[in-house]
Amino acid sequence: MTDPTPHHDGAATAGARPAEVEIRDLTVVYRTEHGDLPAVSHASLDLRAGEITGLVGESGSGKSTLALSLLNAVPAPGRITTGSVEVAGVGDVTRLTGRRLRRTRGSALGYVFQASQNSLNPLKTVGKQLLDLGRSHEVEDLRGLVRRAGDLCERMGLDADRVLDSYQHELSGGMRQRIGIVLALVLNAEVLVLDEPTTALDMISQAAVLDIVRSVHRENGLATLVVTHDMGVVSEIADRLAVMYGGRIVEHGPAGELLRRPSHPYTRALIGATARIVGDPGLARALPGQPPDLTTLARRGCVFRDRCPLAMPVCEESDPALSEWTPGRFRACHAEPAPADRAAAVPAPRTQDDPIGGRP
Amino acid sequence: MKGFLLRLAAKLAAGLTMVFTVATFTFFLVHALPGNPGDAAYEGYVLGGMPPELARAKVAVVYGFTSHEPLVDQYLGYLGQLLHGNLGVSISYSGVPVTDVIRAAVPWTVLPVLSGLLLSFLVGCTAGVVAAVRRNSRSGGLLSLSGSLMAGVPSFVLALLLAFLFHTLWNVLPYGDTSDVTIAPGFTAEYLGSVATHAVLPVATYALLGYGSWLLTMKSSVASVLGDDFILAAELRGIAPATRMRYIGRNAVLPLFTTLALSVGHMFAGSVLIEDVFDYPGLGNLLLKSIGNRDYPLMGGAFLLITVTIVVANILAELLYSVIDPRVRR
Repeated sequence: MTDPTPHHDGAATAGARPAEVEIRDLTVVYRTEHGDLPAVSHASLDLRAGEITGLVGESGSGKSTLALSLLNAVPAPGRITTGSVEVAGVGDVTRLTGRRLRRTRGSALGYVFQASQNSLNPLKTVGKQLLDLGRSHEVEDLRGLVRRAGDLCERMGLDADRVLDSYQHELSGGMRQRIGIVLALVLNAEVLVLDEPTTALDMISQAAVLDIVRSVHRENGLATLVVTHDMGVVSEIADRLAVMYGGRIVEHGPAGELLRRPSHPYTRALIGATARIVGDPGLARALPGQPPDLTTLARRGCVFRDRCPLAMPVCEESDPALSEWTPGRFRACHAEPAPADRAAAVPAPRTQDDPIGGRP
Repeated sequence: MKGFLLRLAAKLAAGLTMVFTVATFTFFLVHALPGNPGDAAYEGYVLGGMPPELARAKVAVVYGFTSHEPLVDQYLGYLGQLLHGNLGVSISYSGVPVTDVIRAAVPWTVLPVLSGLLLSFLVGCTAGVVAAVRRNSRSGGLLSLSGSLMAGVPSFVLALLLAFLFHTLWNVLPYGDTSDVTIAPGFTAEYLGSVATHAVLPVATYALLGYGSWLLTMKSSVASVLGDDFILAAELRGIAPATRMRYIGRNAVLPLFTTLALSVGHMFAGSVLIEDVFDYPGLGNLLLKSIGNRDYPLMGGAFLLITVTIVVANILAELLYSVIDPRVRR
């Protein structure tokens, strides 16, 4: 992070490794009776091989829409209006259509659904659906595919023979989640997108699934994106963190630093709203106000200004751009970063009063 | 498997109870009807120009066996005979056992009803899938509209319309009876062809009657499956469109099998009107005639057969359901 080579629009981070996925200036709008409403606005983000990127935000912040646009799968009436998603070895996914798009989904790009969602056909065994997947991608060696799926199952602590012979209703939430990962990776995807991987799982299964995500990520050298509203999840596994609010990426940087010294007022509020196991639960502060939805979203100026403690006149006028305020860290805010944030290279000690540490 | 056998046993028990109830009801209901076979025949003879004394004498000879036992004893006797598979002797077909009369009529109802039902199910469900997938386009809208229209047409109106168009007006299809009377029954191409053409109108009526409701039911079922997570998941895994359509179709058609079983009974009941319109000598026609003739044993037998058909269709649906839905199977 010491060599901040500027990217073409200055939004992406710098790094030694080329990005596996480069999202640039991505805008997704939903066509409604109130006109075209942006769910994602001018988002730019890189996913690198070997890195887990956490994408956090409240419901309706646009994080799932962003994740789906990685596969060019924004559900109607939404559509991608500007920007690109360059995937290494594939090209710009937003330009793909028809058969090429279909073949990219599931092979280069693996998508894992929430465990509570039923991502399997209830009338077919997992094994048969695996074969459907293989045939759809014209895999010649179906035996090899089954073997590979079996290996992945065993690595995730699943009894491969039993699981492949099971129907969805015979599997627990944690098992379904693991099978989702197997199906996403069995065709050697290099990019793995997990949508709320731990939501609706009990604590033990959550920990197990995160362990598995971490280990398959490492073993396969994946570029992984974890979409979640759970700060605990990202603090546990993410290397980098992007925070979304009102369809914008408002802050972005290395996970550890960003969690210790959040800079954007929204990120601070989000972290401040998380109750901790140690310490006084009363310290958790709810963020006043409501998150915007597509109809209440500010059309002009900063989307967060109505709930922002630092709001200034300029916030009414112009939408702050995501810019690098200190090497490797990006924020979209008109307020000056607190000097303490800039200075603190060493983690500040956590105290009872300040559970995040290093707050101004 | 054990759970399945248990459910099957429960279904069988429920079915037998239903058969018994219907047998009892029809027995008493039929006897509560005004008039009796003797009076009906007497009126018939008199209207036919026979002097009253002669008519009375003839009725005494022909219907002399009419029971004068108390109703309860007659009922118990009826049940006892029923257990032996004996439905009694027809009154209007004097002397012929009811089972024989029914056996002759059954194929002419079962085959047209089942083929019409199957046809409407296949066509209606396929059209329903298309209507659901293309629900935002003109072709999908037109399909749905055709379903709504067809679902609203009463059976006898449709039957009369078809008879009028294809027989009276254009005279392309035969009407009445199961085959041309000039052709000797047998396993010949000529006879079978005649049977087939005679069956076209009733079968088409059954098929068109079911089409609308199958289309609409399937459409709403597909629309709900389309919103299921696993369909999006399959899309995001790059599953081929044809495979996705199979996923959708199989999941959507599942709840329709229960309705299919129920509609077998519906169709059999509906055959009464339709066979009457086409003068087609099936079970429905037989039932109508037996009511006109106050032929109690035949009436009871026909009612009973329709009940048994419904019960058997329900059990078959249960079996079928457990074959295609793994959540029921294991």
